[in-house]
Order: sequence, then structure tokens, then C-alpha cells
Amino acid sequence: MSKPKKEPIKNGKLWIVMGILFVLINPWYFPAGSYQPLFWGIPYWAFIIIGASLLLSAFLSYILKYHWDLAEEEEEKKGAE
Amino acid sequence: MDLAFSGWSGVLILLMYGAVMLAVGIVTYWNNRNVHQSMDEYYLGGRGLGVMVLFFTFFATQYSGNTVVGYPPAAYRMGFEYLVSVPYFIMIIVVYLMFAPRMYIVGKKYNLLTPVDWLEKRFKSKPVSILAAILMLYALGNYLLEQFVAIGQGVSGLTGGTIPYHVGVVFFIVIMLIYGWLGGMRSVAYTDMMQGIALLFGVFMLLIGSIIYFGGLPKAADYMQAYSPEKLGVPEGPGVVSWFSLLVLVGIGAAVYPHAVQRIFSAKSERTLKRSFTRMAWMPFLTAGVVFVVGIIGIAAFPDLNMAESEQLVGMMASAIAGQHVIFYWAMVLLFGGVIAAIVSTADSVLLTFSSIVSKDLYGRYINPEATEKKKILVGKLVGVAAVVVLVLIAWFPPGTLFQIFVLKFELLIQVAPAMILGLYWNRLHQKAVFVGMLAGTIIASYMTFADITPLGIFSGLWGLLANLLICIVGSLVMTVSVAEEEEAEKVIGL
Repeated sequence: MSKPKKEPIKNGKLWIVMGILFVLINPWYFPAGSYQPLFWGIPYWAFIIIGASLLLSAFLSYILKYHWDLAEEEEEKKGAE
Repeated sequence: MDLAFSGWSGVLILLMYGAVMLAVGIVTYWNNRNVHQSMDEYYLGGRGLGVMVLFFTFFATQYSGNTVVGYPPAAYRMGFEYLVSVPYFIMIIVVYLMFAPRMYIVGKKYNLLTPVDWLEKRFKSKPVSILAAILMLYALGNYLLEQFVAIGQGVSGLTGGTIPYHVGVVFFIVIMLIYGWLGGMRSVAYTDMMQGIALLFGVFMLLIGSIIYFGGLPKAADYMQAYSPEKLGVPEGPGVVSWFSLLVLVGIGAAVYPHAVQRIFSAKSERTLKRSFTRMAWMPFLTAGVVFVVGIIGIAAFPDLNMAESEQLVGMMASAIAGQHVIFYWAMVLLFGGVIAAIVSTADSVLLTFSSIVSKDLYGRYINPEATEKKKILVGKLVGVAAVVVLVLIAWFPPGTLFQIFVLKFELLIQVAPAMILGLYWNRLHQKAVFVGMLAGTIIASYMTFADITPLGIFSGLWGLLANLLICIVGSLVMTVSVAEEEEAEKVIGL
């Protein structure tokens, strides 16, 4: 018995999260021109954008590890023979 | 501008990098001497690239010398609005997740060699394949051109013209041609690894040096608060729209780069592909993020540069840092070599894919299908060399700034995306709709680019893509695909 195949594009829930993260990495939700407070010379909004970008990278790593499995098992089997 | 470093140390480092690349090429060739008998071996490294090599060769397709010499000036001019360069590199991985998993399977199943090969398999349409091949060759040519322009602008800044950069450019291109010619994808991928490491080391030293000698981000922020607060502020409306446009444009454009798609086919296994992508998902912070900070620090370090002067920013910063301490002197010499190495590593990947499309999709499919693989490879290589010669000549008379050229190639290239990605999942996608969409998108994007029209502030390439996508979808719904064709498509894309 082989495990069910997992293809990221077929998983709607992943894309909802990805959509939310995409919305967050665009700076539309801050008042234009504002930059206070600054942390170590970095405007607050840039911190939030970087934070959201880190979350996106982390989420991508998660998908890559757990939600993409189309050929691995077969390839492993072949490799073992 | 006087430079702290130039002369013999620069020459020495150039020779050293060159010698290592050449050695890698020769050793690779020695270990794989049958490489010229098979296009799979030559262009895809026998479909056997492991995690680290695959990762660095993906890295080289996305980050190049331009990232180091072209991005800090953009950050210098735009301020924090240019922070977009970090998430847009992450978007590339998002787009990969939409098609790479299935593309890998299909590539293995049908022994696909190039992205055009995939379109031919899927649509069996001469017009679609030829148009896509032309668009890709054009974009790849432009991309190569950009690499050569980057050498011209960046290296002249780094050496202050003391070392005749034309000599350096020719020297490296000849080396690139030799190792590419000898070992194909394996040479390219192994040298990419060495070049990627040199680049990473160089940018980190540049960052550390900038922080030590120019005072880091807080000082830059003080300066901006006093003289140019708009560079700190949240982008205004048009800035937000262009931010969004860049995320979409770069995300799709860089993911469907022909040389990037080809690397999906080169992966040894699904597991190696996934692991390489995971590493890639974090690289934007270590590369684009680092050079962004360098550009921002430059705002306070070298105030009031005009457009042309700001393009030399990295050279100015590197030579100032090099003059401070002997460690930084050598680090900046290494960076200087690393920039060239990174440019070479991107250029070699592009050139190899350029040759493969000529070999397989033009010469091998339409001109002389009966030729042996060895002959097809030879034709691809020769056309590649000819293209390099022409492009180097153009590069020595560089048009505009790097950024403009960068946007131009993406706008045409993303027109291949609907056929490539939608074709993977939708068996009713009609070949005629695909062709008309691709052509319309190309014309709209080119016209709008040259006429400089960007309605709502959205880049012309995206308008072209939108039209393209609509035509593909509506056209396919209106035109009927015969049951036989639909079944055939189902067979091709079914898992």
C-alpha cells in the first residue's frame, strides 16, 4: 500500500494561509509616510514586513516538508532495490 | 575616484578565481568523459544533481553579481521601499510550489530537457513551441546581457578603472566558455557552488565593514530623518502598487526562468528538489536583505549622489572599507572576485540553457532532427558562443540603468507562464488559445513598456499577463478540444 500522494497546489487550506501571508508582506495597511517608532534604525513597518516574510519562509519550509509527496516513496523503493 | 585597492592584488584574485573555475571544469570533464554523447548528460548533468549542488545552482539562477552591485544603489535611491527585494525572492518559491512538484514528475516521465520541450509535449503545436522558444531565447539573451553590463558597471566601480575591466570580462568569459563547453551542466553546477560561497562571504564582509566604518542603520536612520524622511516612511499609494507588482512579476518571472525550470529536471530525486527549495526559501534574508542594508547605510555614508554616481555605490563603499584595515582590504578584494564569480555563475547557467533550447527545440526539432545528439550539442554550443560575442559587444555600450533592463526581460518571459503552469493542470487548455494569449500578452507588454504606460501603476508585464491569461481561459472554454486531444492531455499530465 502506498500513501496518498500529496501535491501542494491541490491543498486549498495551504493557499488560504499563503494568501493571508501575501497580504501581510505588502505594506498597504500602514499609514503612508509614517516611520515612528524606529528600532535600531529600522522603521516599525519594515520590522513587521520582515516578520511576515520570515513567517512566509517558515510556512514554505513546512509545506515542502509535509505537503509535497508525489514520487518520493517510489524513488526510495527503487533506490533500495 | 581614488581606490584603496587595485593593481596586483586584484589581478591575483582574478587569476585565482579563474584558475579554480577552470580546474573544476577540467576535473568534471575528466570524470564524465562521455558527457558529449547525450543531451541528458550534457545539459542536465545526467539528471543526478544532489541537494547542495542543486541548491547552489538554483541560487546562482536567482542571485548574481547584479544583486550585489545593482541592489544597494536601488536601496540608496528608494530607501526602505526597496525592502520589497526580500519578499520578492521568497515569492519565487511560492510560485515554484504551484508547478514544480508536477513538473518534476512529468520531466522524469517524458525525459524532458527544456521548458519548450514540455510545451511541445503538452500542446504539440509548432506555433506555441516556436513562439515560446523565441521568447525564452530573447529573455535569456537579455539576462546574459545584464550580467555583462553588471560586470562593466560594477567592476569599473570596484577597480576605479585601474585594472582594465574589459580584460577581466574577456578573461572570465573565455574561462566560462571553456568549462561550460567541457563539462556542461555538471561543470556549471559545481562552479556555481564555489561562486555562491564566494558571493556570500563577500557580501557579509561588506556588511560588517559598512557597519563598523559607516555607523550602521541607526546612523543612516538619523540622517534620513533629518534630510529625507520619505526614505524611511511607508510607501505612498503608487509605491504600494509597485511593491505588489514586483512581488507578482518577480515571483512568477524568476520561477519560470527557463534555466530555473531546467534545474527541476536536473534534480536527482524529489527529495533533493524539496530540500534545495527549503534552503532557497531562507536565502532572501541572507542575500537580498544584506545588500539592502548595505545600500541603506550608503545613504548616510555617501550622501547626495546623483543617479549615475549612485550606481557606483558598492565600489565606493568597498574601497573606503578596504582602506581601513588590512583584513577588510583582502575581504574586499575577495568580494570583488566574488561579484565577478557570481556574475559568471549566473551567466554560465543562462548560456547552457540558451544552448539547450537551440540544440533541442530549434535545431533538433525543426532543422535537423536526424542529427546525432553529439552534433545537436555541438550546434547549441556554437550558437551560444556566437550569442556571447554579440552580447559582450552590446554590453560595452550599456543602455540605461540595470534595473530597467531587469524589468524588461521579466515582462516578456512571464507570458510563457500560463501555458507552462496552467497546461500542467487543465487538460482542456486549447493550443490555439495558448498561442493567441502568449502573442497578445507579448505585444501588449512590449508596447506598454516602450510607450511607458503603466495604468494604475501596475507594470506592463502584468497587464500583458492578465490579457494572456484571459485569452487562454476564455478561448479554451469557447473552442472545443476533441475528446481524443483531451484524453491525450489527460494522459500527459495525469500523475
